[in-house]
Amino acid sequence: MKHLSLLKFMVIGALSCGIISCQQKKPGTVTEEGFPREKTLYLAGFQWGDPNTFNPLSDWPAFPVGGKYNLMYEPLVVFNSITGKIEGLLADSPERTDSTISVKMNPMARWSDGKPLTSADVKFTFEIGKRFKGAPTAYVWDFISDITVDTVVDSSASGEMKLEKIVFFINKKERNNPLVVMDILQNIRIVPRHSIEALLAEAGGELAELQKLKFDKDPVVSGPYNLLRYSNEKIVLKRRDDYWGCMALYNNRLPQPVYIIHPIYKSNDHFSIALQQGNLDISATFIPRIWLKAKEGVATWYKKEPFFIPATIPMLQINTTRYPLSDRNVRRAMAYAINYKDIRELAVSGYSPPILSGLILPFGVEADYCNAEDIQKYGVSYDPEKARAIMKEAGYTSVFDADGKLNHVKNAKGEKVPTMSVKSPAGWSDWESMVQIAVKGMRAAGIDVREGFVDASLYWSCMPVGDFDLLMQKPVPEVTPSKPWSRFDAVMSSRNWKPEGEKMNENQGRYNNPSSKDYNPEVDNLLKRIPTLTDNEEKIKAYRQLNIIFMQDMPALPLAYLPEQFYEFSTRNWINFPTEENSYAPPQCLCYGAGTKALWEIKSVAAE
Amino acid sequence: MLKRYPTVRYIVTRGGWYFLTFLVAVTLNFFLPRMGKSNPIDIIMAKVGGGLDTKAAQAKEEAYLKEFGLVELDAQKNIRRSADGKPVRTPVWKQFRNYVGMCLRGDLGTSFLNYPKKVVDIIKQAIPWTIALQLPTIIFGWIIGNVLGALAAYRRGIFDGVFFPLALLANAMPFFAFGMLLMYLFAIIWPIFPAVGGYAGNLVPTLSWTFLSSMAYHYILPFFSIFLILAGGQAIGMRSMCIYELGTDYVKYAKWLGVRENKILMYMFRNAMLPQLTGLALSIGQMIGGALITEMIFSYPGLGMALLTAIQGNDYPVIQGCTLLVTVSVLCANFIVDILIGFLDPRVKAGIAGGGK
Repeated sequence: MKHLSLLKFMVIGALSCGIISCQQKKPGTVTEEGFPREKTLYLAGFQWGDPNTFNPLSDWPAFPVGGKYNLMYEPLVVFNSITGKIEGLLADSPERTDSTISVKMNPMARWSDGKPLTSADVKFTFEIGKRFKGAPTAYVWDFISDITVDTVVDSSASGEMKLEKIVFFINKKERNNPLVVMDILQNIRIVPRHSIEALLAEAGGELAELQKLKFDKDPVVSGPYNLLRYSNEKIVLKRRDDYWGCMALYNNRLPQPVYIIHPIYKSNDHFSIALQQGNLDISATFIPRIWLKAKEGVATWYKKEPFFIPATIPMLQINTTRYPLSDRNVRRAMAYAINYKDIRELAVSGYSPPILSGLILPFGVEADYCNAEDIQKYGVSYDPEKARAIMKEAGYTSVFDADGKLNHVKNAKGEKVPTMSVKSPAGWSDWESMVQIAVKGMRAAGIDVREGFVDASLYWSCMPVGDFDLLMQKPVPEVTPSKPWSRFDAVMSSRNWKPEGEKMNENQGRYNNPSSKDYNPEVDNLLKRIPTLTDNEEKIKAYRQLNIIFMQDMPALPLAYLPEQFYEFSTRNWINFPTEENSYAPPQCLCYGAGTKALWEIKSVAAE
Repeated sequence: MLKRYPTVRYIVTRGGWYFLTFLVAVTLNFFLPRMGKSNPIDIIMAKVGGGLDTKAAQAKEEAYLKEFGLVELDAQKNIRRSADGKPVRTPVWKQFRNYVGMCLRGDLGTSFLNYPKKVVDIIKQAIPWTIALQLPTIIFGWIIGNVLGALAAYRRGIFDGVFFPLALLANAMPFFAFGMLLMYLFAIIWPIFPAVGGYAGNLVPTLSWTFLSSMAYHYILPFFSIFLILAGGQAIGMRSMCIYELGTDYVKYAKWLGVRENKILMYMFRNAMLPQLTGLALSIGQMIGGALITEMIFSYPGLGMALLTAIQGNDYPVIQGCTLLVTVSVLCANFIVDILIGFLDPRVKAGIAGGGK
C-alpha cells in the first residue's frame, strides 16, 4: 500500500491548489499554524449549510448576522430569558407610557469605523421598512406609527450629559400592541446609516439590489466581534479590541475569546462527537441522553433533569375545520389519550418537566399567569379511560379487531369517521418519536389517527394553507418579552382568518372562524386587550380567561416543554460557563439575548 | 464524404446521439424538480415568516416571487395581478425559456435558498473537494480492484481463497455502514484519525505544510471508506470475467500454440476489461451523488450536501446547476469510453471499418 499513499499525496497536492484557490480569501493576520486553541471559542448549531451572505438587511443571512445574535450588529436592548428583564445595550431599558415606548441611547456607542452610533442610525434602520416592503423591518410599521428623537439632560454624579431619547409611538390604529413593540426593540439590529445609505444609492435606491451585496469584507459593525473570514466549512469571527461596550459596559475589559469559530457540520452526531473530543465548546443542537456525556466534560444548564430551561411548547396543531376534528369532544378526547410521561421520557430524553394543560409555562417568567386551580378544573392529563368515555358520550363507537387493534370509528349516525393523520417532517427524529407516542395513545383510546411523515418541503407548503388534519409544530419558539401572549396569538387568533387553501401565518388550524355561528369573540378580544394591559392583576385575569378557553376548546395539543435553544458546553478548553449554580448570564449560547455577556466571564483552561 | 473516414463518422454519429441525450436530460432536469407539490417560496417563508402577521408574510412572499422571477411583471415592473388581487405566476414554459436563455449565456442563476449566492460559486467552492475525494478513490479502486481480480482468477489457490471472500464482504457492505464503522473504530474508540471535517477546525485553507498535512490526515478515513468497497466490487467483476475468458477458445488455442503466458494474460485482460471500462465511466458520473454519504458521515466538504439541501428545498437553480454538471460529466465519460472501446475492442473496430453501426 506504500506506493498508494504516495500517489494519494501527489493527487492531494495537485487538487489542494484548486481547493485553496476556490476558497473566499479574507484579509487577516492568522498564522499558517491556525487559530490558537486557548484563545478560540468554538460554537456551533446556528449555521446549517453554506453561509450565503452577511448582509444585515437580508432576511436570512448567515451566522452571526440577522436572527437574534448580538456579535456583529446589535439591538437597542436585549432580553434576559431567566430574569425576564429587558436589559440595555445600545440604549437603556425602555420606558412605557400608554401611547409610547422610549429608550435613551448610550452616548458611548460607536461603529467599528469610529463614527458614533446615534438615533439617526436607529431611525434609518426602522425607516428602511417604511420605504421598502421587502425589508426585514417592514412589519414593524403595523406596530409603530412614528419615531421621534428628543434630547434629554441626564444629571448624574459625574455631571450633566445630553442624551438622545428615541420615542416609538404605538400604532393605535393598526395593531395597538406595546408587547410586540418591546419584542421589536430587541429583535431589530441597528445598521450603520453612513455606510448603507451610500451603498443603497449605488444600488440605484433599490433594496433588492442592495440585498445582493454580501457585506463580507470588513463590514462596519457595532458589536464586539467582526467577520474575519468564512468558507463552507466554518465562519471565523475576530474580537474587536476597540469595541465601544468594553469601556461603556464592561469596565474596560475585553471579551475572553479572541476568535469565535462556528464550524459547519453536516450531521447531528458530529456536534456530540466534537463536544466530547474537545473540538467544540458550545453546541445548540439536540443531543440525546446528555448525562452519558458528562464524563467527557460535557454539561448543560441543570445538572439533572430537565437539563435545560423549558421555554417552548411543541404541539399538535389541529385543523378545526375538518370533520371530526371540528368536534371539540374529539379534540379533548385526543388530549386525554396522549401519554405525556412517555413523550417526556422516551422522545425528548427527559429534557421536559412534566407538562400541565394549557398554553402557559408553569415556571419562569410566565408562571405568574399560570393558575393551578384552573388547570385542575378545566385541564386534561393522560387518562385513556376518560378519553374513551368522552368519545362514547359524543356518540362515537370505536370498532376494534379481534387482536385489539383499532379498525375504524363510527359516529352517532353510524357513518364511518375518516381516518386522521398527523403531518410531521420525516427524519426529524425527536418530533417523529413524539408523534409516534401520541398516535399510539390515541389509537389505543379508540381514536382513528395515523402518523403521516412527509418530506420537510411538503410539510412547509401544507402548513400555511391548512392542508393537514393534525400538524406537528413548535409555534413562535423564541423567548421574547411578549410571551405567553405571542404563543396564544399564534395558535388562536382569527384576526386574519381565511378558509383552508389560502395562506395564514398564525392560527393555521383555522380555529374560531369569525363567520361561523360558534364564533367566540372573547378570544380575539382578549388577544387584543392583553398587550395593552399594564396592571398585573388584570393581566393575570385575562390570561386565565384565555387559557381556560384554550383548555375547553383544545385547538392544539401541547406535548412537552422544550428549551428555546439547546445549550451544551464542554469544559475541556473553557470554563465558567453560565449554569444554574453560576447563573450570571442566561443560557443564550453566548451569542444572543443577554447571554452575550458570558463572553467576558468564561476562562480559558490553558490560561488558568 | 464521411464514408471514406469510418472512424470520424463513428465519432460524429456517436457525438450526435450524445448531444440528443444531453438535450433530453437538460429538459428533464428542468421539469422534474417542478413536478412536486411543494415550492421553494413556501420553504423560504418558513425560514423568514416565523412570527410575522399573515399580511406581512404575504407582502414578503410577493417580494420573493418577484425577485426570483416567478411572477409576471407589468411595464412599471410591478407585480401583475389577477382579478382577485392574487399575483399572476409565470407559466412554466416561460420559465423554461428563461432557463434555456440563461444556460446559453453560461449563467446558472442565483440560488433561492442561499440567496444571493450564485450557483456557479456554490459549485466552484464545493466541486474541488468532491473531485479530490472521489476521483482518486474511483480510479485507484478501479485499477487495484481489477488487477487483484485478474490475479485471483489466474493464480487461484490460496490467494483467491482468501482474497475472494474478503472482496465479497467489502462489496456487500453498504458505503455508509462501512464509513460509520471506520469512524467508530478509528476516530472514537481508538482515535488515531480525526472524526469530522476536511481539515483541522483551527485552520483555514492556505498553501502551507500545516494545512496540506492536515488535509491529508483528514483524507484517510473517507478515502478508505469508499476505496475498499469499490476495489472489492471491481475485483469480483474482473475475477469472474477473467475466469470466463480463461475458458474461451482463443485462450485455449493460444495455449496450444505455446504463446507466452504474459502475452495470453494481456489478451485476456484486454477483453475482460471492456465491461469494466463502461462501469468506470458510469461511476465517474455518479461521483457527486456518491459523495453525499461520505460527506454526511465525515462532515466532509463537497457538492453532495449542497445538492441534497437544494433538492429538499426545491432550490431549482442549484438543482439544475448540479444536475447539469452530472449530466455533462456522465455523458463526457461515456463518450470517451465509447470512443476508447472503438479502438480497444477488435469487434467494434472491425464493425466501424466494415461500415457497420
